[in-house]
Amino acid sequence: MINIIGKKIGAISWLRRSPLAKAFNSWLGKIAGGFLVLLLLTAIFAPWITPFDYAAQNLMNGNAPPAWPHLLGTDQFGRDVFSRVIYGARTSLSVSVTAISISIVAGMTLGAAAGYFGGIFERVVMTIVDLTWSFPDILIALIFVAIIGPGLTSTIFAIAIAYLAQFTRLTRAQIVRLKQETFIEASINLGGKPRHILLRHLIPNAITPVIVIGMLAVGDGIVLEATLGFFGLGAQPPTPSWGAMMSSGTAQLFLSPWVIIFPGMAVAATVIAVNLFGDELIRALDIRDRLKEA
Amino acid sequence: MSNLLEVRNLAKKFTSSGGAFRKARTMHAVNDVSFDLPEGRVIGVVGESGCGKSTLARLILRLIEPSAGTLHFNGEDLRAKTPAQMRDLRAHMQMVFQDPYSAIDPRYTIERAVLEPFLVQGVKPIDGAAAQVEALLNMVGLNPGLADRFPHQLSGGQKQRVGIARALALRPSLLVLDEPTASLDVSVQAQIIGLLEQLRDELGLTYLFISHDLSLVRYFCDEILVMYLGRVVEVLPDTNGQACHPYTITLMNSTFVPDPKHRRVIRPLEGEVPSPFDLKPGCAFADRCPQVSEICRAETPELSKHSGHLVACHNPI
Repeated sequence: MINIIGKKIGAISWLRRSPLAKAFNSWLGKIAGGFLVLLLLTAIFAPWITPFDYAAQNLMNGNAPPAWPHLLGTDQFGRDVFSRVIYGARTSLSVSVTAISISIVAGMTLGAAAGYFGGIFERVVMTIVDLTWSFPDILIALIFVAIIGPGLTSTIFAIAIAYLAQFTRLTRAQIVRLKQETFIEASINLGGKPRHILLRHLIPNAITPVIVIGMLAVGDGIVLEATLGFFGLGAQPPTPSWGAMMSSGTAQLFLSPWVIIFPGMAVAATVIAVNLFGDELIRALDIRDRLKEA
Repeated sequence: MSNLLEVRNLAKKFTSSGGAFRKARTMHAVNDVSFDLPEGRVIGVVGESGCGKSTLARLILRLIEPSAGTLHFNGEDLRAKTPAQMRDLRAHMQMVFQDPYSAIDPRYTIERAVLEPFLVQGVKPIDGAAAQVEALLNMVGLNPGLADRFPHQLSGGQKQRVGIARALALRPSLLVLDEPTASLDVSVQAQIIGLLEQLRDELGLTYLFISHDLSLVRYFCDEILVMYLGRVVEVLPDTNGQACHPYTITLMNSTFVPDPKHRRVIRPLEGEVPSPFDLKPGCAFADRCPQVSEICRAETPELSKHSGHLVACHNPI
């Protein structure tokens, strides 16, 4: 029992000392970070917060302006915009976070292997990766959707591929620099296998900037998800997605602007918060120089 | 006394790859170096920066692959070892690095850094990890309370002690010291040298001590190799012996004597160390040598016996 309490306190103090906590030191970081925490909680507890079922239609009460009990009004089918925006946060966040996580894992693996082993392997990997970078994100996403069809899965993979180059390049640049450090030579001299050098020294020392860039990329991922949703290539109805909601709102832009304004504000606020918090994190960790390497 | 380490004709060439607009160039970092290191002895390697001392250390430990020559450690041919065999052997031959500030992973605590040798070699520490850390830190004169600190919380001298503890964790027989005191304050240097002497006596270690500080090497070592541009130019069998190579003599004359009344003219060497790229034939020291003659520019001098020890010079003094 005491042990469990000890562990819990340890976890809290670790959280306090973690780099993430440092970004909360400035007021900008507090506002942006606070918003993101709130958003995350809202997305997680969506079923308990939303007053209506996000898919429940009420055609008698379509395009109702914001008023009690529909705080943000209703769309053309009479669905509650507030509930849909909150569920949309679930879709946007989970799609973007999943996609960026896949991208980070794949990018770090490729980048670390390229940077560590070098040679022909590095050239091939980096050429392919640079090639994906030379296309606009949205184009890669569209190609991907064209191949495996619209839906959340293809959205996830499209976003993951679109941001792969960034993480691969950043990781490779760090590994190449770290490889020259004396502590790597020292570890090799102790008899460290490549696995040990990579997993215990190189990657732990390279991971911080990658995570921060990943954090910022989550914001871009949300925009890309919304864009694909807007074009009907992402989440399919009735799954609420900010992009798809805005798309359906264009038809009644002047009749019921709330249908398009509120999901739009949600996207904007989230992306701004992610970017501000990411900037604070970069400042708090003092890694601006390391990000320039890629 | 058997030889712990036998080095024969060791050489390392670095070749820069040529391209459409530049020629491939070859740099001779280490050239034809041979020596024996008997068990229990301390051999010093001195020379200016860039003369290949550090490369020599890394060649001996096969951290860099030699271009030519043979290496025998405890009678075993090191160059014939596979990477896996080499990793096992590394437990017996360790190195202390010049820069203690970057020799420890900044994300490792001191405890983790000191235990890393056991982890990578798959050796269970005797009496458990905590006791082992305490014993090792005590051995190098560090407070075991520092175990949970990070490297940036330690001073340079403390970090170098950690470096020594790591190197000695697996009880190696050979310790290569690559300028272990060069980046430390003078007072701390003396402490580290004292510690190294004490450890050699206690553990029966054999040292290869690399330094640019001739007075330090004369104090610390049994035998001195003087290097110039990748080659050994003189082997001083004992530290009081009279040097014969003009370069060694200049090197010795340029060390300061802690006596304010001691007056003498220091004649600094003129010219620069020639480029190690695409070496010309002849003695590398010829352009700066006060004793230079015709033959020096034509033929590279070999190490040969002169007044009782090996010198590579056509006109030894």
